[in-house]
Amino acid sequence: MEVEVTGSDPYACPAYKTLFETIMNDVGKAILIERAKLVLKPEIPLFIFSVRLVNEPVSKTIFDVASLRQEGNETHLSISDEKYAPEILSQLWKNYGRDNVDQQTRFDLVVTGGDEEKIKDFLVSSGEETKKEIVGALWRSMPEGIKARHNISDGNVITIVATEEIVLPEMVEEGIAIHKSLGGTI
Amino acid sequence: MFEVMMYDGGIHRSEELYEAIEDAGGVVLQKTRSAQLLTVTMSIPGEDKERISKICNDIGGVVKHVPLAGTEIAIVGCTLGRHHMPHPICDIAEEVREYGGISVVMGLARGRGKATSQISAKEKAIIEEYDAVVFMLGNFKQCVEAKKTLFEDIDIPVILVCGPQPEGLDDDCEAIVSGVGRKAERMRTPEERKKLEEIGDVIDKVIRDRRAMLEEDPLFVHPAELKQLLEEYEPIDMSLRPAPIVLHLDGLRVKIPYKEHKAYFESLEVYGHKLTDIARISESKIDDSSTIIRIKTRSEVEDEERKA
Repeated sequence: MEVEVTGSDPYACPAYKTLFETIMNDVGKAILIERAKLVLKPEIPLFIFSVRLVNEPVSKTIFDVASLRQEGNETHLSISDEKYAPEILSQLWKNYGRDNVDQQTRFDLVVTGGDEEKIKDFLVSSGEETKKEIVGALWRSMPEGIKARHNISDGNVITIVATEEIVLPEMVEEGIAIHKSLGGTI
Repeated sequence: MFEVMMYDGGIHRSEELYEAIEDAGGVVLQKTRSAQLLTVTMSIPGEDKERISKICNDIGGVVKHVPLAGTEIAIVGCTLGRHHMPHPICDIAEEVREYGGISVVMGLARGRGKATSQISAKEKAIIEEYDAVVFMLGNFKQCVEAKKTLFEDIDIPVILVCGPQPEGLDDDCEAIVSGVGRKAERMRTPEERKKLEEIGDVIDKVIRDRRAMLEEDPLFVHPAELKQLLEEYEPIDMSLRPAPIVLHLDGLRVKIPYKEHKAYFESLEVYGHKLTDIARISESKIDDSSTIIRIKTRSEVEDEERKA
């Protein structure tokens, strides 16, 4: 993650770089971010936090994160990405009940009465959810009192323009310019 | 000359320590027990220091120097939100405890924002119950300078801790420690630990100045002596709250409701005077379960007696 901070306060710029990196690592989003630009103007006050993600967050189904096999009325699942295991289990429990889902190992599951065609389309992660989490992490790294926020998001670039009272058009324009400099197309 | 020190060790054979303190004519200022661990802050005559230190070591504990013993210090953040808590406020609070003080962490209801931050009269009154307050602000110089409205009218010593060195705030606080801004993790590097020690030393200096000021016109009775009297009262003695009596530089916080025990406080005699004549007693502003006792100075009591 490459972080570039610009601003008028010589103390705050390096401090915010460290703070941003620490918070993103804490919430586990640092690996998703390729580049970040932070503009700190406490005198206005205006804060623009813009990030370009490594990949655009997309929705994932069970088919994307596990391999499936149907044997009679039993569906065998082998999880290939453990990160999604809790959501896979939760979807299976919701649809087939706990009694019919047998977790044999950390990665292997058997669903009694399961249907491979139906199971493979269960959603385990939505792209919107990931984006929402990244926006949440950005809000967390911003100063708390800067409550008036304007979000700009398209593709894999997310920008937040924040101020204390009214978000003025020129502030949004400045945000759009930063957004475009990171590859945003708005 | 009395000296304050702290025993840090186990509960085993602690009775021997209490007996030694009593024999020497000393006072236990604070006793905190957590499972089998015990810390005892005591005030003892200087000539008995060596003997009591030896007892502390013999029963398996260590003796620590505690310059902030007998004080209660508030550490105030702009809010209780995760932007301001827990670091570095809790790190500072921990440092105050290392120095022997009782620390209380507080967050203002509307302390965030450069133009919108504010402190209410009630918050101010609560803060003024303590011996000193540490205000923890952030990384932006302009915001720190704009937020002086939060502490400029507070009547107890204010120590400002913030990132950049602010300008024009020297008259609004007793001391400023810069180099500690907003943080998202514990202060554990050697430089950060050094900074925490610097904060501890600054608080110590502010408290020493305050003590020196109080000594110019001494209190009618030392808070520790009053504590010994109050401890005999059953509701305080039986109180399950940790530290039912907390010492302040000029009084005490007694953790029993004032309204319920008003008659006791009014009838208590201290060196031939009624407690109400030698101290101002009020309900704590935090809630009604504590009582604040502010001891009057000797000259104040004499002056009032003359007038009467």
